[in-house]
Amino acid sequence: MILLTMVARVADGLPLAASIQEDEQSGRDLQQYQSQAKQLCRKLNAQSPDRCTLETGDMNFHYLIAQGVCYLSLCEASFPKKMAFAYLEDLHNEFYDQYGRRVPTVTRPYSFIEFDTYIQKMKKSYVDSRARRNLGSINTELQDVQRIMVANIEEVLQRGEAISALDTKASNLSSLSKKYRSDAKYLNTRSTYAKVAAVAVFFITLIIYVRFWWL
Amino acid sequence: MSTAGFNSQNGTGTGQTYANGPSQNPVALQQLPGVSYSMTHQPIYNPMQAKAPSPPGPGPYPSAPYQPVPPVSSYQPGPPLTSYPSSLGQPLLPRPPLSGPPSHTPPQSASPSPGPRMPPAQATPPPPAVSSSSYYPNPQQPMAPAWQYNTAPPPMGPPTSISAPPRGPVANHVNPAASLAEPRPPSSAPYSTAPPPRVSQSVTQPPGPGMPPTSMLGYSQPGTAPPPMNPMVPNAYQPGRAAYGPPPTGPPPIMKPAPPPTGPPVASATPPPPKGDGAVAGNGPQASNSYNHVDNKMAGLAQPGPPGRHLGHYPSLPPGYQNTSAPHGTSSMHPAMQAATQPYTQAPQPYQQPPGGPGPAQLSPSLAAMSLQSSTPEALRVVNLLQERNLLPPTPVPAPTPCLPQDLQKINCNPEVFRCTLTSIPQTQSLLNKAKMPLGLLLHPFKDLSQLPVVTSSTIVRCRSCRTYINPFVSFLDQRRWKCNLCYRVNDVPEEFMYNPVSRSYGEPHKRPEVQNATIEFIAPSEYMLRPPQPAVYLFVLDVSHNAVETGYLNVFCQSLLDNINALPGDSRTKVGFITFDSTIHFYNLQEGLSQPQMLIVSDIEDIFLPTPDSLLVNLNECKELVQDLLKSLPTLFGKTMETQSALGSALQAAFKLLSPTGGRMSVFQTQLPNLGVGALQSREDPNQRASAKDIQHLSPATDFYKKLALDCSGQQVAVDLFLLSAQYCDLASLGCISRYSAGSVYYYPSYHHQHSPAQVERFQKDLKRYLTRKIGFEAVMRIRCTKGLSIHTFHGNFFVRSTDLLSLPNVNPDAGFAVQMSIEDNLDDMQVVSFQAALLYTSSKGERRIRVHTLCLPVVNSLSDIFSGADVQAMTGLLACMAVDRSVTASLSDARDAMTNAAIDSLTSYRQSVLTVQQPGLLAPACLRLFPLYILALLKQKAFRTGTSTRLDERVFAMCQLKYQPLLYAMLMIHPALYRIDDLTDEGALNINERTIPQPRVLQLSVEKLSREGAFLMDTGTVMYLWIGRNCHPNFLTQVLGVPNYAAVPENLHLLPELDTAESQRTRAFIGWLRDQRPFYPSLHVIRDESQLKANFMQNMIEDRTASALSYYEFLLHLQQQISK
Repeated sequence: MILLTMVARVADGLPLAASIQEDEQSGRDLQQYQSQAKQLCRKLNAQSPDRCTLETGDMNFHYLIAQGVCYLSLCEASFPKKMAFAYLEDLHNEFYDQYGRRVPTVTRPYSFIEFDTYIQKMKKSYVDSRARRNLGSINTELQDVQRIMVANIEEVLQRGEAISALDTKASNLSSLSKKYRSDAKYLNTRSTYAKVAAVAVFFITLIIYVRFWWL
Repeated sequence: MSTAGFNSQNGTGTGQTYANGPSQNPVALQQLPGVSYSMTHQPIYNPMQAKAPSPPGPGPYPSAPYQPVPPVSSYQPGPPLTSYPSSLGQPLLPRPPLSGPPSHTPPQSASPSPGPRMPPAQATPPPPAVSSSSYYPNPQQPMAPAWQYNTAPPPMGPPTSISAPPRGPVANHVNPAASLAEPRPPSSAPYSTAPPPRVSQSVTQPPGPGMPPTSMLGYSQPGTAPPPMNPMVPNAYQPGRAAYGPPPTGPPPIMKPAPPPTGPPVASATPPPPKGDGAVAGNGPQASNSYNHVDNKMAGLAQPGPPGRHLGHYPSLPPGYQNTSAPHGTSSMHPAMQAATQPYTQAPQPYQQPPGGPGPAQLSPSLAAMSLQSSTPEALRVVNLLQERNLLPPTPVPAPTPCLPQDLQKINCNPEVFRCTLTSIPQTQSLLNKAKMPLGLLLHPFKDLSQLPVVTSSTIVRCRSCRTYINPFVSFLDQRRWKCNLCYRVNDVPEEFMYNPVSRSYGEPHKRPEVQNATIEFIAPSEYMLRPPQPAVYLFVLDVSHNAVETGYLNVFCQSLLDNINALPGDSRTKVGFITFDSTIHFYNLQEGLSQPQMLIVSDIEDIFLPTPDSLLVNLNECKELVQDLLKSLPTLFGKTMETQSALGSALQAAFKLLSPTGGRMSVFQTQLPNLGVGALQSREDPNQRASAKDIQHLSPATDFYKKLALDCSGQQVAVDLFLLSAQYCDLASLGCISRYSAGSVYYYPSYHHQHSPAQVERFQKDLKRYLTRKIGFEAVMRIRCTKGLSIHTFHGNFFVRSTDLLSLPNVNPDAGFAVQMSIEDNLDDMQVVSFQAALLYTSSKGERRIRVHTLCLPVVNSLSDIFSGADVQAMTGLLACMAVDRSVTASLSDARDAMTNAAIDSLTSYRQSVLTVQQPGLLAPACLRLFPLYILALLKQKAFRTGTSTRLDERVFAMCQLKYQPLLYAMLMIHPALYRIDDLTDEGALNINERTIPQPRVLQLSVEKLSREGAFLMDTGTVMYLWIGRNCHPNFLTQVLGVPNYAAVPENLHLLPELDTAESQRTRAFIGWLRDQRPFYPSLHVIRDESQLKANFMQNMIEDRTASALSYYEFLLHLQQQISK
């Protein structure tokens, strides 16, 4: 079951098309997943793996990045992974044909919302179990899905946060060490002064002693 | 539509042409505050006290407890600006303003805008001049002084005079019309002559050598002529202003002093001087305005003029007002005009001399005077309603112009979109209470606009604390910071905003379109979307019971939809679906690939379910053929049905289930009382009580089923539009809830039948066409913000209030209007202006999320007279109507009627006690409120509120829905229809639009005395037009327009004018077509004769006449007077 589909530009996470979820039957609240999907699109960048599956509760996000466009779908965990990627692959082919060239130029969100019609159609054919058999051929062409990275959505969404925590800790450390250094310097000079003073006192005493007692 | 019609000035005023005229006044007024008013705030009125019911006088207007509307504030119609909107005339409006600036200054200042405002007219001669000139072709003619006073104008005016004799007096009127018609040209032609020069000179350049002749021109076409050289005085009115009412702004105060000066010039120029004085003297006293007396005569002149004169003219006015002298009627303006005219007219030659007269020094003062005069005069001129009979302006009443500095007013929001009942906001709630006029806003936020700047940017600049959108009325502290005009927080200007995409320059944030336009649309970034934009989804729910088939509406509906199927707003995602119902619910499977539509019948109406999850709502582009097949077969499918029951409630539930995943629009067609399953209703109307004078029952819903369902719909972004076609009682009060809370609209066609009521059929067809093809916005929300200190407490219209100030509008359409009531919570002491902002966020049918923002800016005043001078009568009437509808439902109809009557009593009482310094007998009202009692009476006689006349409950409820839901422009036609005489249409003063000549007859009062057997009259009530043919109507009209040989041959049920190839026929059809084009719905036309059944409907609209159960206008005024003088 494919619950949500979204197409976004990777460069800035601008949503280009999406399929309105029909939550009437499922009765599930997709709002939360939807905002996760949006966040995810914003987090992705050119360095992200091209294909990835993210687990979130009993749902999986599958995404595919091609030609600067990210295709993201939310499926139930039981939905076969290769099916999901075949679906995304299909979307990519069609989308790239129709709108590929215009992707970098648009500024308005959901500029290609009309692609929704196609998404719905594809979705139907993939979800319909009778039609699945026709897709058998696709399965063989698919690369080894096993190699697709699996990660947890929380990790992806929070990876950024962890790094920034590390960053603050490191900067804390460096500022602390700076302080330590200046303190140490100060102590050093103080002890030097003390030594010089002691020697000076000794010599003065010696001079006075020689001057008054000796002579 | 609106514009054309409406622009005219209020008054007969001369200057309609000039937008300025009117406006000036208002402005001036406001400014005045500073000046010396001697306002006296009199004892404060205690509303409550006021209310004290006055024993009902004559009639039905007992004043009962009136708690009416809370704060009433006064607002007046001041001068309207034509400028605004223009609808048609874009040219018109704008024009004036523009031109104005340059040359204007001088002229205007000089003569308080002769042209422009009527009010001023009094003050200044110039106006008259103008009028006269326009009027008469030959400017040069020296107008004989003589005629001036008398309504005489006619003499000269050969051209004008043309109109029927009755009009004679009209001359003035004519002018206006003319001016209107040819807004632009006017400048040159009409005005051309001499008059202009004077004006300018007198005012500005008194000293100057006289530019005389030309100057006039300048005035009219300011631009052109290098008007007077006069250096514009510092005051120079802001040119821009001119458009709206130029003068007002700053200068006004100054002007005050001036008055005298003006006088002189004039005098010098013309013989009039004497007159002037005389007049002045006489009038002076009268002028109620505090301002005036001050100085001078000028002011005095203007104002006084009218009253005095009238007195003379009018015989005594018996209740009947027989005065036939319609001409004068135009009223106040007239006198002024005349007066004005005189000077000018004469002036022409003399003019030159003036220069010598006033020294240079006088300039500024004179200017000041000018402005002052102009301002005071019009809006606040005292009108004795009992003596002045013809208050109705010959052209539609324009909205008053707020007294703002010209640069602000120039960019202010169009009054057709955003209007306030008081164009000058009182400083405190107590002041508002004292004025006793309602304070509120009327909006038409999704109006079709011909020009709308659209901005696309990734960040929309908004105030960080109150979320106000940046607008033209914010202030820039420096390049990097701006101050919100609603909450006064200082915000940073984002980097991106520094670049101006229009001029492609950097560092000029104040030149961005957002800061240059009061109405603007943004393309919203994705933060404004909770979900991807929904597609356009249309679901049609059709009644197919026996009753419905009988009416034959299915044919019309299917044909209309077939014709317009490609014009439905939407993109490639658009979806449609159909449900029909009688005692069962029928769904239609239109899945792609089927050879023909499949009907699925669900007979379990108690627990409704969808027989198949998808393919009931299908993509229109992919399944168009199936849809067309279905539409072709639907009318015949149920031809033989004998099912008489109607399970509307279940059908609505099914439709809701179908639409809830996406949201969309549900169009429900119903022809009888639902009597099966959930939501079944019973007939509550007792036909014997229709004419009862007692309280009307059953105005509130019988069940909350429809309201609850509507709220569910609203939550899922589904709007329900209801088409009710029924001869029987359908309980619209209950059914209407389904649309009311889901932001739908209601259409009602009483007694619809495909054979018996061809006019209804035509109207249904045209309405459907408009309905199917008009613009639509989905999943919308609207928020109205206002400056800190003001608070909005009550909303009127169709919507659901989701949080305190957020209106949820599942659909928004261009024909929906809204109203809100406000109160003043904190004193607005240190503010010069306040702003209001309405922001509508919606998804267009193309799947774009957009935000339309309107911002209105109004001045704050602290004196009662300023409040009164800024009252907008039409807006007040519209708001009172909404409040009265609420009151009828929550309390009782009689309560609502009392409240309306008391609203008129209170505001006039307050005016009399607090503003008038000189007490005179009679029913006195400021000029801007002069139509208030008339409109209130019209409301009392309106279908929604009338008693004692047979009115079907559904029609009454429907009228109430319309009053609340229609934009003010159309609601005013319902309340006070327009009457025209059309058997003598001429091209005089005609508008010229797209190569078509549209004659502009004047608006007549709604009184039988205006009818004559020799004429043919057109009454425009908004949704219906009646063409009444007099028994002795000129045969020429019958043959040339109606195509019948004589009166007896006029067919009984004529609702189309034959397309004859005669000039008369073309003119008549052009005029009616033009009226129709101005509004989004289609008014049907009924040609009626004396013995037609519909004659009663026609006569019911004769508001000023007495009926068996209601007072005549004069009686109503007497009643008001009695209450006021208590």
